[in-house]
Amino acid sequence: MTGTTPPAIACQHVWQVFGPNARKALDAALQRTGGDARAAAAQLREQGLIPAVQDATFEVGKGELFVIMGLSGSGKSTIIRCISQLLDATAGEIALDGENIVGASKQRLTQLRREKMGMVFQHFGLFPHMTVAENVAYPLRVQGVAKARRRERAQEVISLVGLEGREDAFPRELSGGQRQRVGIARSLAVNPDIWFLDEPFSALDPLIRRQLQDEFLKIQANLKKSIVFITHDIAEALKLADRIAIMRDGRIVQIGTPADIVLRPADDYVREFSRDVAKGAHARVRSVMRPVSDLPPGPDDPGLRPDMTLDEALAHCMELYQPVPVHDDSGAVIGAVNPVDLAAALQVESE
Amino acid sequence: MTTAADVLPSRLGLTPGTRAALVVLLTGALCLALEPVLPWLVKWPDAWTLPATQWVDTVTRWILGWLKPLARAFADLMRYPMDWANLALNATPWPVTIGLITALGWYLGGLRMAALGFLGLSFVLASGYWSESMNTLALVAVSVPLALIVGGAIGLLANEFPRLKPPVQAVLDVMQTVPTFAYLTPLLVLFGFGPVVGLIASAIYAAPPMARNVILGLERVESEIKEAAVMSGAGRLQQLFQVEVPSAASQIMVGVNQCLMAALSMVIIAAVIGGFNDIGWEVLLTMRKAQFGQSLLAGLVIVVFAVVIDRMSGALAIERRRHDPRVVYGVLALAAVLTALFWSRLPDPAEFTLLAPVAEAVDTGLGEFTAANGDWLAGVKNGAMFYVLLPLRIGLDQAVLPFTWGFAWTPGMSWAVFAAGAALCLILIWRGRVTAGLMVLIGAGMLETGIADLPWPFVLVGAAALGRIAGGWRLSLLAVGLMLTILLSGLWDRAMLSLYLSGVSVVACAVVGGFFGLWSAVSPMAWRIVQPICDMLQTIPLFVFLIPVLMFFQIGEFSAFLAICAYAVVPMIRYTRHGLVSTPPELMEAAIASGATGWQIMRDVRAPYAAPTILLGLNQTILYAFAMLVIAALIGTTGLGQSIYLALGKADVGLGISAGAAMAILAFLADRMVQGFAEERRRALGL
Repeated sequence: MTGTTPPAIACQHVWQVFGPNARKALDAALQRTGGDARAAAAQLREQGLIPAVQDATFEVGKGELFVIMGLSGSGKSTIIRCISQLLDATAGEIALDGENIVGASKQRLTQLRREKMGMVFQHFGLFPHMTVAENVAYPLRVQGVAKARRRERAQEVISLVGLEGREDAFPRELSGGQRQRVGIARSLAVNPDIWFLDEPFSALDPLIRRQLQDEFLKIQANLKKSIVFITHDIAEALKLADRIAIMRDGRIVQIGTPADIVLRPADDYVREFSRDVAKGAHARVRSVMRPVSDLPPGPDDPGLRPDMTLDEALAHCMELYQPVPVHDDSGAVIGAVNPVDLAAALQVESE
Repeated sequence: MTTAADVLPSRLGLTPGTRAALVVLLTGALCLALEPVLPWLVKWPDAWTLPATQWVDTVTRWILGWLKPLARAFADLMRYPMDWANLALNATPWPVTIGLITALGWYLGGLRMAALGFLGLSFVLASGYWSESMNTLALVAVSVPLALIVGGAIGLLANEFPRLKPPVQAVLDVMQTVPTFAYLTPLLVLFGFGPVVGLIASAIYAAPPMARNVILGLERVESEIKEAAVMSGAGRLQQLFQVEVPSAASQIMVGVNQCLMAALSMVIIAAVIGGFNDIGWEVLLTMRKAQFGQSLLAGLVIVVFAVVIDRMSGALAIERRRHDPRVVYGVLALAAVLTALFWSRLPDPAEFTLLAPVAEAVDTGLGEFTAANGDWLAGVKNGAMFYVLLPLRIGLDQAVLPFTWGFAWTPGMSWAVFAAGAALCLILIWRGRVTAGLMVLIGAGMLETGIADLPWPFVLVGAAALGRIAGGWRLSLLAVGLMLTILLSGLWDRAMLSLYLSGVSVVACAVVGGFFGLWSAVSPMAWRIVQPICDMLQTIPLFVFLIPVLMFFQIGEFSAFLAICAYAVVPMIRYTRHGLVSTPPELMEAAIASGATGWQIMRDVRAPYAAPTILLGLNQTILYAFAMLVIAALIGTTGLGQSIYLALGKADVGLGISAGAAMAILAFLADRMVQGFAEERRRALGL
């Protein structure tokens, strides 16, 4: 996808096993099972160890918003802590811009964190004894940046998240939404390339959550960070993600675009998730489009675009039965859609 | 698959508790029955004890001999800061000192704290004990920083190296159970007579609470806050000192508060060594001369210091807001100006004797009161002694004498007691409460024999049984092992005397404290009265409790009993109330919705829910009682406390350490067992 430049994050067969002598037990289990991850995990569990992340392999492209979704206990928080090296992965390789960071020295990790990574936490993780500005400037302070410069940069990110005027407030004086804005500002203070967000909006009221999601998308549209975003909310994942990984019991069961997840669930577990989701609002025309040669368009042209949602497309083709053309921004025909496929894609699946 | 053997015990109600009670009962009965034939079954023969005390003495003296040069050098070193602190506090004109404390009070807690500081120190000035107080303060001022540094460092290290945490916590636990006096004897040998011993003892005694709170505070920092520091790219030291320690500040300040109070308490206790003209010594001296008015006055000075230090350092932990520093400068300037203006006419603090007439009035008043009510007071004391304490200690068979009870005890009466116990036991068993029945029978036996005269196999088996029920086989074995050590060391008789007095006090505290706790739980009005009393009792250094009981009841076991109760009753009240009022409202609502009356809710919902908390209160009460038991040795108890006190006088390291260890063993076992029961209750409630 990215050609010669390495992806922002590349995880290869990452395992995180909790318990005594985890590495040895994992190696032994993998050997016994001939590398079968599922069987090895089952064996580890029998030994009383906890395989929180099993054989995770995925890549996050530069500027991509990658969402990891799963219920509590699925290992999603563990995996983000592996990538950010808050936990030492038991096995596997994790590469940031091509550099393997598993087993990297402490100094190197600190340096990476000072230059490359930012992280937002579910319960904000704000330092209670520091003001908003001091919290935001802390990543600069530990690097020894001068006070005036710190304050200036803090001011920039504080305005970015819309908290001007609250610089000297303490976290305890802020609302939940405001606190998470501080968390976001702090994680952006060093202008990192890679941005980790661990359920950043889960502790907030629904209204505030939606507001912050929209602002987050706006910020990302400008900054184009490479993002790993954790959530347990399928609607949030579908709304924000470029791609989604769905985790269950420590395994990644499917990786795909929101449309993939909704339209082509890999198994019943994923299907169960997307059951309640209004598919038409998340899947795009592109996902049901076929090449023109495959399906020559008929006489009608309702003016479909590849990034229209299925709902919008269906509204345009209500009374049509023939395949219709899909245009790109310049107006050229790039494919065709059969209205029957549209309707079929939207059909709620029965048991 | 259930066999008859499985079914039978459960049908008979033979739970582990019942079985344990049965074993204990049989052991006791056997010992009593065999006493005429095998007297060693009841009383452990002296010939069988090991000279453990001497061994300990030899070993520790050898170790101390090695340490001595180092210790003496350290003592010489510590003399400098002590002299400086002494000089600084004594040379500072008193208006400036009062101004400083008042200003500090304002800065920490506003007008109320400032008023507390001003009034408190004014009282000290008026009492005429200014320079003695400053001497005490100087000791505290040197020992507290020492304790804070040592305790803080231990806490930080234990936090940094998780492998150190369990051993460190075990050592802190042990240090909490070792009685205060027991520290003093080896220190005396190490450092020689003089104030340095008090200084070191108070630093040693005050460091554990600091270490504990540092560990606890750092543990409780939210993991996300720690992670945020890591992800900010902070190095380990930056994480620790810029994020984790400041985030744990309030818990650490609780540690500072406890550290200050412990240091003050120990400095005053250390006065028994003498050699330093401080306020604790003043209390001791006046107490010995039976000048209770003066003694009370000096005691009140200590209380004032305790309250001022406690409230101000407490404000450090609770209040984040600091008050306007301009007022601080104002107060200080005023004090300085006053001092400068009246420099030539500034009276010496020792000349203040404003309260001397009060002290004298108290003395004469007390004299008149005791003269007028002597019969009544003696009646109370003798009644408690002859009809409650003595029978519990040496048993009805020896305590019932013609000149107290009016008749002589006969073996037939013993049988009557046993028979009554057995009858009650049978009734209870018949109603299905087998364990309770057996306990009643055991109780009857103990009443007849007396706690101090209980056969040793019975005590050992009893400890084993309690340990088994409370914490499984490991605790049971531990209990037997530790109790055997006491038995072999020859301290058994004194240990039993200590067990008796603390046991009686704990039971009294449980009843009285339980009642006040219950009352405070149901009536907010009552709590409004009880709470400040509890606060006060908890702030007062142990030593001071002795004064009022001495005033009315003179030296003796009854006075010791009262002093122990006054000190140890507080946790029982607090925890009982806390447990009862913290019943979740849903549970109460569910009970009300089911149509339960207030009393039924209390009995069926709130009390069971509060049981684990109340047990923890009982646990604290036990530890408090043991702590006070040793102090109470000053006013006449027999038992281990007395041994420790005697050892201090003779600088007998072996006896001091052995008796201290025996005391610590008793406290430790009691602690583990009650904790075990509390844990079991909590599990049963799914908490």
